[in-house]
Order: sequence, then C-alpha cells, then structure tokens
Amino acid sequence: MSSMTMPAPAAGSQPPGEIPVNRRSTELSMLLFVFGVVAFAFLNVGLSLKGQHPSTLIGYVVVFAVIIGAAHLAMRRWAPYADPLLLPLSALLNGLGIVMIYRLHEVGRNGNPSANGAPIITLSSSAVTMQIVYTVVGIGCFAAFLVFVKEPRALQRYTYILGLIGLGLIGLPAFLPSSISGVQGTGAKIQIAIPGLGSLQPEEFAKLALAVFFAGYLVAKRDVLSLAGKRVLGIDLPRGRDMGPIVVVWLISILLLVFESDIGTSAVFMGMFVAMIYIATSRTSWLLIGFAGFVAGAFLAARIFSHVGARFSIWLHPFSQQNLPINAPPGTPQPSYQLVQGLYGMANGGLLGRGLGNGQPYWTPLVQSDLIFTAFGEELGLAGAMALLLIYGLIVQRGLRTALTIKDPFSKLLAGGLSFMLALQVFVIVGGVTRLIPLTGITTPFLSQGGSSLIASWIMIGILARLSDTARRPPPRPIQEEGLTQVVSLK
Amino acid sequence: MNRALKRISIAILVMFLLLLVNVNYLQAFETSSLSTRPLNDRAAFEANQYQRGDIVTADGVKIASTKPSNDIYKYQRTYADGPVYAPVTGYDTIFSASGVEQAEDPLLSGNGSQLAFRNFIDMITNKPQKGATVQLTINSKAQQAAYQGLANILQGTNRVGGVVALNPSTGAILAMASYPSYNPNILASHDGTTVTNYDNKLLRESPSPLVNNATQTTLPPGSTFKIVTSSAWFTQNASRNPDSMVYSPQVLTLPQTTNKLHNDGGEICGNAGANGNTTILWAFSQSCDTTFGQLGMQLGGGALKSMADQFGMDNSNLDIPGVTVAPSQYILPPSMPLTAFSAIGQYSDTVTPLQEAMFSAAIANGGKLMKPYLIQQVTASDLSVIKQTQPQQLSQPVTPTVANYVKDMMVAVVQQQQGTAFAFNANNENGIVIAGKTGTAQNLLNGVSPNPDAVFTAFAPADNPKIAVGVIIQGGGYGATAAAPVAVAVIRAYLAAVG
Repeated sequence: MSSMTMPAPAAGSQPPGEIPVNRRSTELSMLLFVFGVVAFAFLNVGLSLKGQHPSTLIGYVVVFAVIIGAAHLAMRRWAPYADPLLLPLSALLNGLGIVMIYRLHEVGRNGNPSANGAPIITLSSSAVTMQIVYTVVGIGCFAAFLVFVKEPRALQRYTYILGLIGLGLIGLPAFLPSSISGVQGTGAKIQIAIPGLGSLQPEEFAKLALAVFFAGYLVAKRDVLSLAGKRVLGIDLPRGRDMGPIVVVWLISILLLVFESDIGTSAVFMGMFVAMIYIATSRTSWLLIGFAGFVAGAFLAARIFSHVGARFSIWLHPFSQQNLPINAPPGTPQPSYQLVQGLYGMANGGLLGRGLGNGQPYWTPLVQSDLIFTAFGEELGLAGAMALLLIYGLIVQRGLRTALTIKDPFSKLLAGGLSFMLALQVFVIVGGVTRLIPLTGITTPFLSQGGSSLIASWIMIGILARLSDTARRPPPRPIQEEGLTQVVSLK
Repeated sequence: MNRALKRISIAILVMFLLLLVNVNYLQAFETSSLSTRPLNDRAAFEANQYQRGDIVTADGVKIASTKPSNDIYKYQRTYADGPVYAPVTGYDTIFSASGVEQAEDPLLSGNGSQLAFRNFIDMITNKPQKGATVQLTINSKAQQAAYQGLANILQGTNRVGGVVALNPSTGAILAMASYPSYNPNILASHDGTTVTNYDNKLLRESPSPLVNNATQTTLPPGSTFKIVTSSAWFTQNASRNPDSMVYSPQVLTLPQTTNKLHNDGGEICGNAGANGNTTILWAFSQSCDTTFGQLGMQLGGGALKSMADQFGMDNSNLDIPGVTVAPSQYILPPSMPLTAFSAIGQYSDTVTPLQEAMFSAAIANGGKLMKPYLIQQVTASDLSVIKQTQPQQLSQPVTPTVANYVKDMMVAVVQQQQGTAFAFNANNENGIVIAGKTGTAQNLLNGVSPNPDAVFTAFAPADNPKIAVGVIIQGGGYGATAAAPVAVAVIRAYLAAVG
C-alpha cells in the first residue's frame, strides 16, 4: 500500500482556464496595515516612557517602512504568486519584536540590581539598532533566497551536503570551549561567540538545513520506510533494518540535550523529524516510535543529568522553598525566579494589559530573548498574547496550505516540515513560559532579540514563499496564436 | 501524503488551542493569586510610579514628601527631620511600610477606591495620578521640643524614652517622640541591599530604634499612678475633697509580711509626724507613698483596677490609625501588701508615655477622656477632603468635681513649696500654670541603669488646659529632674506656637 496517490486539486489551486491572480496588491495593503500597527506601537512606547516621541523613533519607523517595502518589491519581482499573508504576518511579528526590544532597552533599568542583587536586564546600548540591522540582513537573505533559488527542487540536489552542514552546525558548539560556546547564566552551550562582534547560534540555521535534508532523504527512502514489518497491538511496526535514520536523529537530539543543555532545540529537531517521516510514510508507527523514544530519552536524561531534572522540578513546583527560597541570604540560587517572574508579568497584564511601556517586564531575567512573550502578555494583556498566537497560527496555516497544494513530494514534505517546526517552536517556548510544559530556552521566532534566530526565520519565510509561489503559479500556457498555427485538412 | 498532512494540521491546531487555553487561564483566572506570591515586586513598583501624597503636620510642615527620581522609580520618598518624625510617619520601603505610611497607604499611593473616580478624570485629562495628602494632628514645634528633650538626656546611652502630648479636649496627638530613633530616608532607598542592611542593623540594635517607645514600650508609672488612686478615693465618697485628712505615717506597716512601706528617703509626710494625718493634697504633692499605700489597701485592687481601666489601661482594643499601641497594664494584685504597692504605681503596673498623657488629659478635660488620634484629615490632590477625624469620647473616669480636686492637687505639685516639682515654679515667668505629677519608678528589672525610671505627666495652662503631656525616661532618675523638664519644654513650645 503506497501513499503515492496524487492529491486531488486543493481548494487553493488555480482552476485551469481562469486568469491567475497574484494577490500582490492584497499583500501591499496588508503591509500598510502592519506598518500602521508597528508605527503606532513605537509611538505608544515613546509616549508612555517619555511623554513624547523621541526623534530616534522616526528613524526606526522609516527604516522599517523601507525594509518591508523592499521585501514586498522582492516578492513582486521574484515570487509574484507567493502567498500574500506570509510577508505581512512575519513583518508584523518582526516589527513588534523591535518595538518590545526598544521598550525594554529604554526602561532605564539596565543592569540595575534587583531586590536580591541579581542583574535585571542585560540589553546593550546598541540592542535596538542591532535588531534593526538583523532585520535588514534577514530580509536581505529572504530576498536573496528568492533571487537565487528559482525552483524549490534545486534544494533537493544538495540534500546530503545540507545534511552534513546541519549536523556540523549543531555539533560545533559542543566541541568548543564553553568560554566561546556557553551562554552566560544558562549553562547551555549553543553559540559561537566572536569577540567584539557578538555571537552566532548555529542551531538556528542547522534547523533549516536539516529540514531540507530530511525532506530530500525521506522522499528518496519513503517507499522503503513504508514497508511494514511485524504487527504489534494493531500497529504495523517498520522493519528493524529501516530503523537506522530515526535512531541517528534520536541520538543527535539526545546528545544535544546532554552536551549542550539545549532541551528545547532537541525537542524541536526530534519533533520535526518525526512529523516529516509521518507525512512521508503515513505510518502511525513512526509517530509512536519517535514520540516514545523522545519521552524515554528525556525521562532518562532527567534522571541522570541534574540540569534536565531541575527543569522538571521548576515546572512542577515553581513556588517550593527549594526552587524559590524566601528570606534566604543574598546569593542563594533561585532556580524558578525567571519562570515565576514571567508568570507574574503575565498576571500583571490581565485581560487588556498594562499598555506598552507601562508594565514591568524587566523584572524577568532574559525577558528580551527567551521570555519576550511574557513581556507582550504583560503589556498587551491576554488580548495581545492571543493575537500573537493567532498570528503564528496563521503563518503555520499558510505553510500547511502550501504543503497541501504543492504537487512535488519534496516540496510538500519541506513545506509541511517547516510549518510543523515553526508551530512546535512556538509551542515549546510559549508553553514553557506559561508553565504548560517545562521551560526550555529557545528563541521566540521573529520576536526574540538576536540575529541568528531572526535571520533564520526570514530564510524560512523565504523558503515558504518560494514553495507557495511554485504551488500557486499557473502552468505555462500552450501557445494558441491563431495566425501561427494552421490546421491542415487531410481529406 | 495529504492525509498525513491533514492529521499533522489537526495536531498543530490542538497545540495552539492548548496554548490559548493556558494563556486564558493564566491571565484571566490566576491573576489575583499570582499577584500576592513571594518576590512579586510589581505592586511595590507600581506604587512608586505615581507621586505619593505628602504627610504634613497640623501647622503645615511637610514631614514626608516625594521628589522626582532618576533611578528605577519615578519618585523618591523623603522625610524631613527623619529621626524626629519617624515614630509618627513610619517608613515606606520598597518591601513594606509602617505607621501612617502603612495605615493610609491606599490614599497616599492614590490607589484607594475613594480616589478611583478622580484617577479616571486625571487619566482622561492626561494628568499624572497623585496620591492624597495626609494631615496629622502633630504640632511641629512640640514634636521638635519633645525629640530634642529626649535626645539631650538619652544620647549615647542604651536607655529608651518616649513623649506623647495630647490636646485634652479632642484627643489629638500633638507630639509623639521616641528615642532612640532611626532615619526613614535610608529605608526609603530604592536600592534593596541598602534597605535590607539598614533594616538588619536596626533589628540587631538593642534597644531597637524601630520600636516606638511613645506607645509601644511600657514601664512602671511610679507615683503618677497616684492620680488613679486619688481619683478612686474621691469617687468612692462624695464628701471627700483635697482637704480631707488621710493617715500618713512615716513607715507603713503592711499586713501578711515583715516588709514595710517607706516614703522616699524615709521622710515624714508633711506635719503628720511619725504616725499622724495630713491632707490628701499635701500627701499628693509631696508624693507620700505611705499615704497612698494605705489608701490603696482601703480601696482594694478591684476599685483601683476599675478606675485604671476607665483611664484607658488594659485596653487592648485602643485602635489609633497610624499608631501601634501596646496596652498599659494594671494587674489585679493577689494580696494586700501588693495592692499597696500597686496603688503607688509599682508591683506590676506598666504604662506607655501615651497612657501618662491620657491620665492628665482626662483630668484636664473635666474627667472626660477623649480618644487619641493622629490623622486629622486626608485631602485629595484637588484639595477636596476625603475624610476627617471627629473627636470621640473614650470614657469618663471621673466626674468634673473629682477632676477638679485632682487638678488642684496636681497644681500643688508644681506650685506649692512641698510639691515634688516645685523647682519649676521659678521658671513660670510666662505665667503658665502647669499642673503635673512626678513619678520616680523603682524598676530593678530595667537592667540598663541603676537609676529609677523618670516619669512626669502634666497639663497646662491649669485653668484652661490646651495640652497634656506624658514623659517616661528609662533610668532617668527623679521624675522632677529628668522627665519634667522635657514635658515643660514641650508645653512651652506648643503654647508659644498656638498663642
């Protein structure tokens, strides 16, 4: 039983014969809306914090308008049939992220000690400018991808090279001394620090390279992987000899967990791979094996490695005396301080939020990166938090729609895999900061401070735009010029 | 592949629904329980984002105000003459508050429900929210005199002292000073470490400056308790008056024990000789212990306790907003000899300086004891009055006649030759007639000084009382030499200020 059956034309595909609509004007009007929201948000922060709109704001807003305008033009020129919502939704998240980083930066609390003497926020003075530079680079990469990759299947040719690059990028920090790869205050070893320049988080790019690799590999092997072995409890298990790839990926994710303390990314890798193997083979057994394998691995790791176990303890008992010591001498570790401050922030926001610039998100350590969602929750309230989740949900939905529409199996897998990865990443970090699941430090796509995540997210939107452009592009029309074709009667 | 994709889409939908439900739970249902969790500094911070209201004295001196701050908070609390007013204002730290700062916090911070409508108007008209102003009953001149008087005597010692001055006809607290004191400005620091270190230092010190000795420290009243004993004695029989003769031996033989009660220095009481009688006025003004020991045994512990309670002792429900009050105690003596000692303010009698002031205030006000209060009124930033304290009668320990008798005796203490505080007569050049009673309390348990505790309670002017004062200075020696000068300084400062 093969899953090679061609999909029925999905709702989004162009019915043959109609003049295809490229929807770029829709995109432009949505972008104007995005620009309005972001400009007002900037103004709001300026008025709340300083009672006026500082002159730097105009510069930020103008630069933002120019770069999203440029991205729109790139879409018009190189991906005219791409989905009209991808760019505006991503630009909105990106813009709000810059606004929040500006707001956190302007709070005037940089490095000031809190009640227990711990530094509250560690934003450098150039944080906002750098975030805008990263946005420019990100949108540049997005445009460059559209320019240089005209056809998604071009990526398929580099399946194994990208696979090796991805593995290398993931593994690199583990082999570097922690002075270079360690993230201060977290114990994670996930970056490459370049003195004087900043740091690079290679895993952000590795995720994309591995998504392409998985898609290419699974398209090639999916017939073999679909072959059934033993049937246990009503589930067709795959043959033992086909288990190789999933074991390798499982090992990589566990190694990530152990040597780089990066539980969140490890979960995202594993989840993406399992989802893609399921899409490729339609076999539930792969889902179960992958899921069970990850849970077992995580459980063992929690038992063996204290830093993994601590995450579970913080999740289950954030207010215990051990995790949040009260009246303890200064310097006593407060493992759940970060999580509970994030929760306090969201609670402080309530239904409608304190308003941009009026909350106190800076109590939360690392609020500008891992916990930025709580800052939005505090200042924009439940309404804003739900709006952000819906924006993410819409981007994921556009990606899945592309996956359903596109015919080429490689592109289909890639689109499905990337969409699921984005959804999973949002689930892991937002679920983590809201105590739905244990908190593991990964970036919030488009919102968190930092270049690697932002640039990688824009490249991902580039890939999805290219895929949706391919999916929605009308087939080349046969030439039917009356004057050139002559019908010869052979009677 | 599309079927699998659709299933994955459903899984993603479930993931997003879980996130949405969880965010709803967190921000719609858990807000109030999370807001009171430990280490949640957001509420304290919120309070410092608005300009907190001022605390001013009755004569308009700002003793607690805010100034703009350039650090983490927008405003910095400052206390003028911090140590002088610390027992009055209390403190407002980033962690907690005390005194008036705590009692009126909802209005000072501007978050009280009475201010909600004004805040709404301010929000619409884009005016910054500002807290209400609290006006106290304190007179700045009297308060300064009280604190200086204590500091002059107690500086450099490890002894404590307190002064309370009341307006006898209303109960308004005109002065409330305590020594040792602290600097609330350091506690108002925005730096958590500074606050914690200073707080720990204050808590470690003995005696702790954080204790308001004017209302929280109880010490023996000594002879000032004779006001209660004589009040009970006059009340018992309407035919008695200050000229009534009472038994005043040089040495009082006590039943059930070989101990005997002597007068101070073993002196003879007036012209009574070794075993005669004298007027109660004379015995009171000379402060003869044998006389009042004898009267106490005649009256019995029950009558003394009943009168003491009428004067405000043993009242654990005395609730003065902004002030923490420790009840003064008269414990029913189990035997006759102890009743004799309790009648002269020894045994287990303990009082606060506030109680000392209340003794005089009740006598000065014709026997009616007014409830002490510190907060005169609270006005919103638009100057409208939010609340105002109306004087309230607490009790009536004695009739106006008896009050008049006791007043005559208290005047004699200061004005007549034999009076224990007669030395001050020479200083009455402004024509202020002061009525008072000294106390010199043997307090072997005080452990900090071989000297007795000095106590003085007084009111003035005697014929038209405007101020009643209670002073206790631990280990100060004679009431007349240590405590009385402080009380007189407060009285002079106040009468000069109000004219």
